[in-house]
Amino acid sequence: MAPITGLSHLVNPLATPDQLANSSSQIDGVPGDLEDSVRFEGVKLIQAASVLLRLPQELAAEAIVIFTRFWVGSEGGSLIVNNAKDVASASLYLTAKPSAHPVSPRLLLTTFEYLDKARPLHSVTSRNSVQPEDCFLSEGSYHAARKVLIKTEAQILRTLGYQTHVALPFTLCINYLQALDAFKDQHAQALARRAFAHLNTALLSPQLLYLTYQPPALATAAIYLAAKEVEVKLPGDEWWEVFDLDREELGFLVVAMMSMAGFAEEEAVKWGKRKVPLTADEVQSEVEKRRLLDAGE
Amino acid sequence: MVSRWADDDEDAALEAQRKKEKEEKKRAKAEKQRKAEEAEKRRQQQQQQQEAAAESTNGSSERPSKRRRLSADQATTTEDDSASQPRPLLRFDAPSWGPARSVENFERLNHIEEGSYGYVSRAREIATGEIVAIKRMKMEGSEHSGFPVTALREIQTLNAARHRHIVELREVVNGEGGKVEDVYLVMEFLEHDLKTLMEDMEEPFLPSEVKTLMLQLGSAVEFLHDRWILHRDLKTSNILMNNRGEIKIADFGMARFCGNPPPSNLTQLVVTLWYRSPELLLGTTTYDSSVDMWSTGCIFGELLTKDPLLQGKNEVDQLSKIFELCGIPTEEIWPGFRKLPNARSLRLPRTTQTTGSVIRSKFPFLTTAGNALLATLLSLNPAKRPSASELLAHPYFREDPRPKSTAMFPTFPSKAGQERRRRQATPNAPIRGEGKAMGDVDFSGIFAGRENEDVGGGFQLKLI
Repeated sequence: MAPITGLSHLVNPLATPDQLANSSSQIDGVPGDLEDSVRFEGVKLIQAASVLLRLPQELAAEAIVIFTRFWVGSEGGSLIVNNAKDVASASLYLTAKPSAHPVSPRLLLTTFEYLDKARPLHSVTSRNSVQPEDCFLSEGSYHAARKVLIKTEAQILRTLGYQTHVALPFTLCINYLQALDAFKDQHAQALARRAFAHLNTALLSPQLLYLTYQPPALATAAIYLAAKEVEVKLPGDEWWEVFDLDREELGFLVVAMMSMAGFAEEEAVKWGKRKVPLTADEVQSEVEKRRLLDAGE
Repeated sequence: MVSRWADDDEDAALEAQRKKEKEEKKRAKAEKQRKAEEAEKRRQQQQQQQEAAAESTNGSSERPSKRRRLSADQATTTEDDSASQPRPLLRFDAPSWGPARSVENFERLNHIEEGSYGYVSRAREIATGEIVAIKRMKMEGSEHSGFPVTALREIQTLNAARHRHIVELREVVNGEGGKVEDVYLVMEFLEHDLKTLMEDMEEPFLPSEVKTLMLQLGSAVEFLHDRWILHRDLKTSNILMNNRGEIKIADFGMARFCGNPPPSNLTQLVVTLWYRSPELLLGTTTYDSSVDMWSTGCIFGELLTKDPLLQGKNEVDQLSKIFELCGIPTEEIWPGFRKLPNARSLRLPRTTQTTGSVIRSKFPFLTTAGNALLATLLSLNPAKRPSASELLAHPYFREDPRPKSTAMFPTFPSKAGQERRRRQATPNAPIRGEGKAMGDVDFSGIFAGRENEDVGGGFQLKLI
């Protein structure tokens, strides 16, 4: 584990090619697309929980990056062993703890309890039939859940080698827009909003963009894509090179960001009203089910 | 019938066995995959080599001409279109992550000391033979709220603070045998800490040495404050020194990130009593980097005399010692201090005679510039204290005697390196969660009876 030095707000630890090629879950026999679905669902859960808990978006983003890092590599966590739901809540708990907005275990666990019941989640505010009393944690189940939360938190820390540093592209994005003189444009606000939306959406990417690209690259690609969509004219020259991104990487990132909508729709169609498995047992039985289906064909 | 408990034990054993097998399988599989990839790579390489060899033997007549043409091509392209040349782009070395190692990779040599948030020992890394310091984190309260927030902050702030004069955190490791409750910080080992060193010195540091030490300390504090880190426990026992005259700040158990404006719910239970600033003693909940500057002032005074400057027995005594040295706060000197939580019970003497600072007379051998620096660092009003950058730019460091080169520093026998150290009674950093005790400190007794004291005939000996 090399330390982050100097420009820590620009640099994230990135996943190695080896880590990207071998995930612990896939070694345990979880198909890649199921892994993507579970991770996607887990990330949505963290995002929804942090909205409900009124946490700043940067905390949600940090928690999501920590959550995503946990599952990567042969030494990472496996969906057959760990409950994705527990890792999601522990990631948010761990991220919020040293920040200016810590969350108590009870509040956090109740929120996750509610969200788990309210799944499948289309939006945080969408109507559902979950009653408040359904989410009440009795003293006994609260203690049990807190124990799991604490155990999972320790496991995340050990798996990541206590490396919890996350650099985010949001402030860089504003900075770059200023540098490009984009705020003089009348659609500047729409542009910035759209760029932020892309950065937030990229957190959900099955291509693990936040684990494979540094914040400056993400910010630049988000601005490029947003400018095309909002039709704001940016300098004609290869301005992205000013932010140290080459054309090829820019192209890849833009395609990856644009593909998110399609991915989300596919997921929605694929699972329909079914709940994506978020515990080790559920994942295990889903794997079995698929195996039987394959054998039947 | 077999009892339920026996059944359970068996189950657990079985479970463990299963888990172990799975782990092994997983490892084997990853290993296999890796080997297969390697073999593939090797095969490809061999193939390439063979092809190359075949080519070089077969087409030896053809190749030289091809090569020549290629180099000629390059020469012409570089000349005519420099615009299409790839421009250099900045690339960072991205670190990665992996599971934490075990403390079993280290051999413990001797115990050094107990810091505010853990036990420190000297150890040797078995694989490399390198000497390191290992600090066991105190995991109090972890059954309620998990990994202690202070430990988390210590790791995060130390990781964010790589500086010549800040102790280097090498890695974080787990306890023996996968014991998850134990977490150790592996840090670079330094021979001394300033506190123990000064206890054994016959004479305090020379003025030139004090300047070097203060410059090093100031640069580290400037670095921290630039990165929005408050140390909140600066004191001589947390400043380590090696045998090359370099000091490094250690023990980030109280440190945290802060913003501007600072968060409004900061705990005032920070900084070891003798180095704690008056606004903290008066119970403020919003403070900033100036609390570290007060501690820096206390350290400055201690380096000059080798005795801690303000040795209060408790919060009340500490505050009265501060007022004795720095004078009594007034609305003009420190606007708004009356509004601080603990200032309400504070009854200050009315006589104007006692309000002045006596720092000047305490340090008769310090130059005017030095005195001015110490006096501003120890300003009662936090806003009046200089920032670390202002400290470094102070004229005191530019006048004679000049700061001594670190290479010229004397060396001392290391206590931490060899033997158990003698601990003198210095108060420890406050413990989190004891905030209640601070709530109703009664400062009313500080100057009680001052008016009734006998006053001399008006004769005073004043050192300028």
